Amino acid sequence: MRWRYPVFVCLILASTLVTAASEEAGVSVRDAWIRETPPGMTMMAGYMELRNNTSRPQVLLAASSSAFQGVMIHRTIVKDGMAGMAHASQIELAPSASLVFAPGGYHLMLMTPKRTLRAGDPVVINLEFRGGLVLPVAFEVRK
Amino acid sequence: MQQIALKYSIMMTAVALAAMLAGVWLADIYRERDSRAVLLPNQVITLFPDPKPLTAFALTDHKNRVFDLASLKGKWSFLFFGFTHCPDVCPMTLAVLARARDSIAKHTAGAEDIQFVFISVDPNRDTVSKLGQYVDYFDTTFLGVTGDNAQIGSLAGQLGAAYQVEIKPGLENYPVYHSAAVFLLDPRARYHAVFTPPHDAEAISRRFKVVRELEAGNAT
Repeated sequence: MRWRYPVFVCLILASTLVTAASEEAGVSVRDAWIRETPPGMTMMAGYMELRNNTSRPQVLLAASSSAFQGVMIHRTIVKDGMAGMAHASQIELAPSASLVFAPGGYHLMLMTPKRTLRAGDPVVINLEFRGGLVLPVAFEVRK
Repeated sequence: MQQIALKYSIMMTAVALAAMLAGVWLADIYRERDSRAVLLPNQVITLFPDPKPLTAFALTDHKNRVFDLASLKGKWSFLFFGFTHCPDVCPMTLAVLARARDSIAKHTAGAEDIQFVFISVDPNRDTVSKLGQYVDYFDTTFLGVTGDNAQIGSLAGQLGAAYQVEIKPGLENYPVYHSAAVFLLDPRARYHAVFTPPHDAEAISRRFKVVRELEAGNAT
């Protein structure tokens, strides 16, 4: 009986600490990459895995980067048997939910890179969330 | 008493772990549904029992050579319609096709009698030289092909390859919609089969091996 109390205290403490750490991390991003394009091409796409670590919904509103003339959040859609792109103006991430930006689905459309980007180059893209959170994310150009 | 408590706590830990694993699994499913599976279901290929012979069309390849019905004869041709300003679907598909070609080249029948053709439906922006740079990047054996709108429409129409170019005055980044399928023409220039997205290099390579063997059996 004597050992149970400290164990519970530890459990409660640990869970509190985990929650606090997650709230701190807010939204995390994994596996952020940009597809290298053939020389001279002006349209690129960025992919990543977003995770909402908070207990509140988070809304991705926009993205920007000094490496490109423009960045838009897009989603590949199929309409009348044709693939095309739709602008995704707001993407809501439910509490603790993940969302994958992957080829054939959501992607960041990266317009007119200001310098030639080759595999291995690092690029920073800022993700802007509702409420003012701006998350700078390091993307890697990959072949 | 202590032993019961210990068992209980082990049980609760197991329940908590199971719940966490279930959560991770559910999150994975949610993710797949939500962001990846936007294209058609994975049926890979549709084979036509009675392949349709194509009729005349005239386009130009990236080396300024005529690309017409005669260019299709004697080879299996994989055709994909797109445009070079396409950031997602086209590079993804061409990368898959380059890997499919590598894989087919390893079959005993090899890759001597196959060609991969990227047809731009956006001749307004895709010049012949630009197309050359583009396809070369993915595979130096790939052909980039384009032409005037009527001729592109003629070939696309025969394959049921839908596309729509929404040119807007003054807008450089106008939208283009196009079929994401890969069309397979046989060495007699007939529309033989179609690969439907999402594309996978190994799946295309395996299916093509079967198709080619079937056709070789039919010919003898």
